[in-house]
Amino acid sequence: MATMKRAGPVAACVLLFLGLSVSAAVPPAEYRVKAVFLFNFAQFVDWPPDAFTAPGQPFVIGVLGKDPFGAELDAVVRGETVSHRSLVVERYFNIAELHNCHILYIARSEIGHLPQILKALEGRSVLTVSDADGDDQTGVMIRLVSRSNRVGLQIDVGAAKAGHLTISSKLLRPAEIVGGPEG
Amino acid sequence: MPTTPIRRKLMTALLLTSGVVMLISSSAFCAYDFLTYRQQTLHNLATLGDAIAANSTAALAFQNPDDAREVLSALRAESHIVDASLYTLDGRLFASYPATHPAVQAATPPPDGYRFEGGYLIGVQPVVQGQRRMGSLYLKADLAAVYQRLRSFVLIAVLVMVSTCAAAYLLAARLQRQISEPILALARAVADVSSRQDYTLQVLRPRGYELGVLADSFNNLLVQVEAARSRLQSQLGRLDLLHRITRAIGERQDLPSIFQVLLGYLEAELPIDFGCIALCDPADAQAVRIASIGTHSQSLAQRLEIDQQPRVPIGQNGLARCVAGELVYEPDVGAVDYPFPQRFRRAGIRSLVLAPLLVQKRVFGVLIVGRRAVEAFNSTDCEFLRHLSEHIALASHQAQLYGALQQAYDDVRQSQHAILQQERLRALGQMASGIAHDINNAISPIALYTESLLEREPGLSNRTRTCLVTIQRAIEDVAETVSRMRDFYRVRAPEMSLTRVSLNRLIEQVVESTRARWSDLPMQKGVVITMQPNLASDLPDIMGSETEIRDALTNLVFNAVDAMPDGGTLVLRTRWDFRDVESQAENVPAVHVEVSDTGVGMDEETRRRCLEPFYTTKGERGTGLGLAMVYGMIQRHSAEINIDSSVGQGTTVRLSFIPAQTTLMTAQDTPAGPATHHLRVLLVDDDPLLLKSVKEVLDADGHTVVAADGGQNGIDTFQTANRSGQPFSLVITDLGMPYVDGRKVATAVKTESPQTPVVLLTGWGRRLIAENDTPPHVDRILSKPPKLAALRTALAELTAGAASVPPTPREQTS
Repeated sequence: MATMKRAGPVAACVLLFLGLSVSAAVPPAEYRVKAVFLFNFAQFVDWPPDAFTAPGQPFVIGVLGKDPFGAELDAVVRGETVSHRSLVVERYFNIAELHNCHILYIARSEIGHLPQILKALEGRSVLTVSDADGDDQTGVMIRLVSRSNRVGLQIDVGAAKAGHLTISSKLLRPAEIVGGPEG
Repeated sequence: MPTTPIRRKLMTALLLTSGVVMLISSSAFCAYDFLTYRQQTLHNLATLGDAIAANSTAALAFQNPDDAREVLSALRAESHIVDASLYTLDGRLFASYPATHPAVQAATPPPDGYRFEGGYLIGVQPVVQGQRRMGSLYLKADLAAVYQRLRSFVLIAVLVMVSTCAAAYLLAARLQRQISEPILALARAVADVSSRQDYTLQVLRPRGYELGVLADSFNNLLVQVEAARSRLQSQLGRLDLLHRITRAIGERQDLPSIFQVLLGYLEAELPIDFGCIALCDPADAQAVRIASIGTHSQSLAQRLEIDQQPRVPIGQNGLARCVAGELVYEPDVGAVDYPFPQRFRRAGIRSLVLAPLLVQKRVFGVLIVGRRAVEAFNSTDCEFLRHLSEHIALASHQAQLYGALQQAYDDVRQSQHAILQQERLRALGQMASGIAHDINNAISPIALYTESLLEREPGLSNRTRTCLVTIQRAIEDVAETVSRMRDFYRVRAPEMSLTRVSLNRLIEQVVESTRARWSDLPMQKGVVITMQPNLASDLPDIMGSETEIRDALTNLVFNAVDAMPDGGTLVLRTRWDFRDVESQAENVPAVHVEVSDTGVGMDEETRRRCLEPFYTTKGERGTGLGLAMVYGMIQRHSAEINIDSSVGQGTTVRLSFIPAQTTLMTAQDTPAGPATHHLRVLLVDDDPLLLKSVKEVLDADGHTVVAADGGQNGIDTFQTANRSGQPFSLVITDLGMPYVDGRKVATAVKTESPQTPVVLLTGWGRRLIAENDTPPHVDRILSKPPKLAALRTALAELTAGAASVPPTPREQTS
């Protein structure tokens, strides 16, 4: 807890620093947390069976746009498995590159192309995650929002449902629910 | 109080049992409940931990401590959870509850699992999402509730136990009486019996099988004890009775008295209704003889008819077995079909015991006891009677031994007495011998002259002849009397002359010769004695000594007269018959002489002793020799004497003789001896009267008799004559002479002339002959007073064949 207390100001400093130098080469600590979050989503969300074409098919976490994680995400998933599937991180520059993906992190750089992205993903069971600021991000299933000194979750249950994804109620507990079942 | 222990024990047992049962069951229940409850608690905590952990995964995964705290705060509902914390995977404390005491939380979570630590249940639950561990949940539960529950249970158990024990106590207090009361009652009864020693009491039979059995057994025991006690009592009584009887009969020495005492005791104390004793008769093996009947049994004995007919035959009743030595018990004489028991049955005696009296394995009698009831004797009675009979037998035996001893003692005393008498008689005999010698010498001339006169004087008047005959008989009697003086009890001497004797004639003589005593003398006092001779006409003669028998009869007549101081009848009876003689199979005729008087009679003692010498009832008047002489005569004649007498009833003395053989014996006393030729006879004696009479008698026969006065004179005369060529043909010498006696004369004669016969003439003659003491050199012994016939016979026989000498003028040497 003491560590946590100390982590609070540290995280604040990190965020402040991020805000000042977005384009810095070394990803801030914030992204390490977000990388873990990305990995953890795999634990709380169930994909429909047709999301995987083959039994040995790896679980793919995709990063669309400019990758803010650096090596963090790779470090988090290294050696891990999800439902006996190995984890693979793939990076895409545009949505067209997206081939077979289960979790798609939409970087800030691509948030402007959100409607196209969402349109491209329509009917596919891909959990979309974004941490971009701004209100007009409807259709992103999980948004990582900064709340005071930590990362909060905003989950659009309707979008998830549309993507045939089942989000564990446990995940819903600490998260903020947005959208409705209808949309 | 002796009643507490069994009650207390019963109570203790009951209470302890129920208490222990309750304790164990309560403890088990409590322990079970405690363990299960604790397990439940653990399980609940685990479930709770599971739920909390499941709900905390997202919070941990997405690092939302608020959410985690919210999740943990749900534990508020579980008051016993005192502490709960969430730790991240790397061990950092993520969230805790209650949030107010974070300081008490451990910095790092302990290892996984649940454990009880000091009143707390501590559980560490992994927080897992999918297969991935997110962190740890730490839970700490206070077990106070568990212990509270345990305490409650223990309290309840204690309460239950207390109430159970109370209930058990109340129940036991009532129920134990069912067991303890009968036992205590039994114990009291037993103590009662024991302290009062009254074994006739009985214990009440309590309820319950075992106690009933116990009481029955005890009652049974009491009955047995009482029976044993009464048996012992009766045995003691019997023993006492036996002791008293034994002592009583031990004090008695004669059988009748022993039997009477015994029967008296038995009748009074056994008791019996009838008792008698039968003795075996040695002469009659087929019967026993009732010897004694109990005093109170007399009337029954009359009904049994054994008082008139005491002989009871053996062999037709249980007596046979009894006489064989067996104790016989007839429990019911009615069932026995023999005459003797049937007699008892008719007399009202129904049970009988016959006990043998055994001495040295020989039954000498039978004790017969009876009772009116059937089966009235038990084994104890029989045993008692058996012992008693042994005692009686012993006592009887001792009495018999005592009797025999007494008899032997009496015999010894009598022998002693007889020896004393014999001694007196011997002294008397010695004295009598002297007197007899003198008397014989003195009467010799009388005898010789009388005989000579009767023989040689034909001109005697009848009266003179009668007188001379009487004198001769008197002289003979004197000589006989004198000679017998020493011979009261001597066995019949060989030379005693046995002649044919007519008892009838003798009695006539006795009646005549004793007339003065039975007629004249009593008459002077006005007393009349009637003499009744009662003589059998065809009486056979007997062989005997006339004088002895006459003397005996005379004595008997005198005794009879003496027995009738106030007069009476004197009967002299002769008869003969055939009598039984024990030793001889055939009947032997016997000739009896009875002298009966009607006088005072004799008592038993006198009758028994009257034959003893010197025993007299006549005081100074009697010598005590009369009947003794009679008895001597009887013995010498092999006759028998019977005396019947009782006081006041008179006396009958019966003498029984054996009659003479039918062949006539030649009379010894031939009036004249054979004629002899004339002899030269030397007569030696110191008595001039005798010398003279013998010389005259022999002279008259034609012999030449030289008389020598004294022994030496005789020897001288013989030698002179022999040397002068005129030897004597025969020497007659007296035995007893001063200085030179007859023996020396005989020796001298035989020395001088061995062929010359020597006749010893002696006043001691009978004794010499009796003792077979013929001196040497003596050819014949003649007793004084010499009888003419005997002299003649001796001379004739001794000089037979000797040269006869012509008659010579009388010469006398002096």
